[in-house]
Amino acid sequence: MNEADSSRQALLSRAFVELADTLVDDFDVIDLLDRLAGYCVELLEADAAGILLADTQRNLRVVASTNEQTEWMELLQLQSDEGPCVDCFRAAAAVSIADLDEAADRWPRFAAALADRESYRSVHALPLRLRGEPIGALNLFHRRPGPMSPADLALGQALADVATIGILSERAINRGEVLNEQLQTALNSRVIIEQAKGVLAERGGITMDAAFDRLRSYSRNNNLKLSDVGRQIIQSDLAAAVLAGRAVRTSVPRRS
Amino acid sequence: MRVATRAGSCPPTPVAEPGAVTHSLLAMGHDVRDVRALAEKICRAFIDGLDIDGAAISLHTASELRETLYASDAISDLLEELQFTLGEGACMDAARTGHPVLAPDMSDIEESTRWPVYAQAVVDQAGVGAVFALPLQWATINLGVLDLHRKAAGSLPVAQLRDAIGAADIAALMLLGLRTDPGEERVWDRSWGNRIEIHQATGMVVAQLDISATDAFARLRAYAYVEHRLLGDVARDVVARRLRFTEET
Repeated sequence: MNEADSSRQALLSRAFVELADTLVDDFDVIDLLDRLAGYCVELLEADAAGILLADTQRNLRVVASTNEQTEWMELLQLQSDEGPCVDCFRAAAAVSIADLDEAADRWPRFAAALADRESYRSVHALPLRLRGEPIGALNLFHRRPGPMSPADLALGQALADVATIGILSERAINRGEVLNEQLQTALNSRVIIEQAKGVLAERGGITMDAAFDRLRSYSRNNNLKLSDVGRQIIQSDLAAAVLAGRAVRTSVPRRS
Repeated sequence: MRVATRAGSCPPTPVAEPGAVTHSLLAMGHDVRDVRALAEKICRAFIDGLDIDGAAISLHTASELRETLYASDAISDLLEELQFTLGEGACMDAARTGHPVLAPDMSDIEESTRWPVYAQAVVDQAGVGAVFALPLQWATINLGVLDLHRKAAGSLPVAQLRDAIGAADIAALMLLGLRTDPGEERVWDRSWGNRIEIHQATGMVVAQLDISATDAFARLRAYAYVEHRLLGDVARDVVARRLRFTEET
């Protein structure tokens, strides 16, 4: 085993240990998916990763992204209409595009939006499946064109499967009724987080990416859910504490 | 670690096409401007599309002010009244937690432990076996709670429950639309749910004017309406800091 392989092995072990550690009672599903997207970038040498989940009307919605900037998230979201992610979701099977230049006919809007914003050249979408049934998809973007190796695709799918388990086991599971509730809760949490990012970006004069970083650090340091911190940022005045990284958790009057 | 999600003896649960309730809400049009009339239409769609006997929508605000917007029948009315009086129950829990609260058998020991007085009253006074309470929410905004009931105990079929959860999301958008309506032709729009730029801009306006998320969203809509612009474009300008809201905007 060469050095690169062994450091990758170490990272892989660390990823699964950390992900297993995350699956405690009442854990934060958005935080888990955010960590997963991060590990995809590191382990699969991707340049960006995003996770989309389907709502009950089968529309795909972004729940985690390694890039929290508005434009990039909008591009991910564009795939509720067209793109590798929605094709992967509909077929419940992986979609690999080794060179996006060749996919412009298939997804004209998606290809144009991608070409406008970032120079990603290849994209791979792996399904999040429960008993063969799709619930969302993991998206991997590379700046270099070319296919991913079968071993990397298998590892990517294993990470996608961990995401599925995470979503399902947020609370006691195994009935269809709970799955739908979990998905809806995760999607609503994401809306709260986006609004909270807006508050932080405005108050701190920082980018959406930096706003998410502050929100995430504060949540992890204080062992709180991202959506709970987000809620307090929107409804009361936790923004200052989050921006300063202070561990203030006094309750403050809510805005009416 | 390779996790075999395909394995297992359970048959796949099909991710169905929109169910009957979702379908009828989407077909309802975008121009109902009276909140009680809207609540009635929403309740009717749920009653027609699900195996239930009645429905009600109540408002639960932060100031603990509670009000029933619509109740389909005397029993639904009684169920709301019981919870407001007793201070406990399925729809109170749904309002507080933001999660659906499903009580398929009100005479079950689990429910009587959860709500000692309410559970007993639901069975004895109202003769109701099952209660399903769905929160109507958009991000942190609680727009009300939908309380569904059936005389006979028993769970809703999975497909109906999925339909109900999805339809509750649309009902919430309808109520949000009405609450923030600047007088537009379309009071609500289903695309609001997945527009990242709109959520972020709402947060920025919350901070710019120190107002609630509902008010911030209303300001964005009002601006778009007055300027004859698309809400998404206005939101993108706010996020890009090309547009700032002040008291005078």
